[in-house]
Amino acid sequence: MQDESCKHLWKITNIKPCFIINEFCYKCKKNTTYFSLEERPPIERYQEGEHFWNTLGYDQSIRFDLQCKKCGKLVKMEELAGLMMCTGCEDNCKVYSLMKELEKERTWVYVAFGFLPFDETKQLDKEQISVLEDYFNQRRKSSTSKIKIVSGDLIENFSLCYGNIIKDVDMLSSKPPEN
Amino acid sequence: MKLKELIDKFELKALTNIEDTHIKGVYLSDMLSDVMSRAESGSLWMTIQTHKNIVSVANLIDLSAIIITNGKNVPDGTIELANRFYVNILSSPLPTYELAIKLVEAGVK
Ligand SMILES: [Zn+2]
Ligand SMILES: [Zn+2]
Repeated sequence: MQDESCKHLWKITNIKPCFIINEFCYKCKKNTTYFSLEERPPIERYQEGEHFWNTLGYDQSIRFDLQCKKCGKLVKMEELAGLMMCTGCEDNCKVYSLMKELEKERTWVYVAFGFLPFDETKQLDKEQISVLEDYFNQRRKSSTSKIKIVSGDLIENFSLCYGNIIKDVDMLSSKPPEN
Repeated sequence: MKLKELIDKFELKALTNIEDTHIKGVYLSDMLSDVMSRAESGSLWMTIQTHKNIVSVANLIDLSAIIITNGKNVPDGTIELANRFYVNILSSPLPTYELAIKLVEAGVK
């Protein structure tokens, strides 16, 4: 039963481990990312129409949805490729300006971004962003700080952004992480 | 238990500035995505991961501290970032399992 007046209390659900695969087409220089739920990352060169895809890299990550514990409302997070903590970059970056503003009150800015290429894939909508933000703030409710989640749309040039994307790097290496 | 008490009791080395806080459980994992989806806010997180990304995760769900086990060296970049975001990082020469047993014996769960 979904209740419009419900003050939703979110929980994480449908957690699935996956790979996030990054591919590049040498012909048109297009960069794409997508999730793969296969046991091993699919690393192959293949042709798709006009594109010649090559794997640039892959990392382990997870997919999940959020559901209200009280009314059962389910919000799918299929468009979410990852979360990135803003650590500051160019002065004219909108996310960095927001971060500088909110940092004073210990509100930390995370960017929820969708899949590459950003201009061709569906990014998270307002509801998804706000549910994601509520979820993390409810989970850390006893805390003296807060989380602000913004859409990847706010980032004009992703290549200038040096925030930290949450994903598992080097987990498939034969050696434990360095140092 | 409070974090500063834990540091003294288990001879942990503080690698960052420490903001004292209550510990509300312990979570053992070397996968960031696992911690992000399952660890409880306020938990101590024991791991051998030292990448900057651990700060993003600990900050997102407001963990009480990260304990790097096995005496692993933590890069300066990770420490600097942690200090900037008030994330506590501690270090222990013990392997994760041994430290976990000591914590359980002392009633930290
Ligand atoms: Zn609800
Ligand atoms: Zn192409």
